[in-house]
Amino acid sequence: MGIWEPLLFWIFAAGALITSSAVIVLRNPLYCAMALIVDFFFFAGLYVLLSAHFMAIVQVLVYGGAIMVLFLFIIMLLNLRDEDLGETRFSLHHAVAVLGGLAMFFFIGTAISLVVDKGAVAEGRTQAAIVAQADEEGTQAVLIQTPSRVPGLYADLNEDALEAGFKARLRSFEEGTATPADGKYRPFDPNQPFEVPPSLRHQEDRIGTVPGRTGLYGTTQPISVLLVNRFVIPFELTAILLLAAIIGAMIIAKRRVA
Amino acid sequence: MSWEPTLIHYLLLSAAIFSIGLVGVLVRRNAIILFMSIELMLNSVNLTFIAFSKYRFDMDGHIFAFFVMAVAAAEAAVALAIVLHVFRHKRSVNVDEAQQLRY
Repeated sequence: MGIWEPLLFWIFAAGALITSSAVIVLRNPLYCAMALIVDFFFFAGLYVLLSAHFMAIVQVLVYGGAIMVLFLFIIMLLNLRDEDLGETRFSLHHAVAVLGGLAMFFFIGTAISLVVDKGAVAEGRTQAAIVAQADEEGTQAVLIQTPSRVPGLYADLNEDALEAGFKARLRSFEEGTATPADGKYRPFDPNQPFEVPPSLRHQEDRIGTVPGRTGLYGTTQPISVLLVNRFVIPFELTAILLLAAIIGAMIIAKRRVA
Repeated sequence: MSWEPTLIHYLLLSAAIFSIGLVGVLVRRNAIILFMSIELMLNSVNLTFIAFSKYRFDMDGHIFAFFVMAVAAAEAAVALAIVLHVFRHKRSVNVDEAQQLRY
């Protein structure tokens, strides 16, 4: 995957950490909002690294655009003067809160790293390499399932490893060693247009024709297919929620309901 | 831990940003910055969804992140309307001033 993916990841991660710290440290809400906008752009970069192209665009449009415009509008409408902000004072309360945040982070971090089996990470990489080499030589790789406590937390998130795992999964479906119930998706059947998923077969075709690409993953098509099929009820409920939010915001912000 | 970003890296980054948002909610008393911290936490959760989604190679996580964004937008609109309303009555956006939830 070259040097760019890790390099960009570390740049975006550091940027996201710095700007999100700035959001809670800076005193003026306007500067906080600016830092938050930059933060959202770093998040969009991370989404692109995760091949979530559509979500990256939505992140910039909805978060960086709509929501932050709302925040900036309110900040400027309120027009807080410097004395309104109150003096910055450091109290025991702050120290306890920061300690609580640190404790939270270490709790989550330990929980995450406890389920990671370092040996399995190495094993997963070797398997990915074996599959990649076998594909190059045009032969079939024989993969042995490694038992794991939480299957797959170990996988590298680069395209090669993902493709290898994906092909192995597809192969096991075809050979009948795994049933669709084991995985989430059943193979695509064109006679059942409402059996959603971003079709496995279609993905395989794309992977086959465009080496090194993960096909349709993360693009608009599978998201729209999922939204209007399997997730159509939550989607419609979201519409109702947004309508309720619009009406609620209007009624609350109005001085007096006539 | 290697230099290559793996799922763990994304999860830890997300945990760190979630904790930063949590500290922001606990420390800051300015209602607007409070809501910004909540946006930060929602975003870190979105990052987790999308990282897991890539690792599982299915796109359900994207849909969930999409819904989280929609809810965040609705929440921001209502919350800022409330902030505006409180500011009209209290001339302040300090949440300690509004702790009795009445005016």
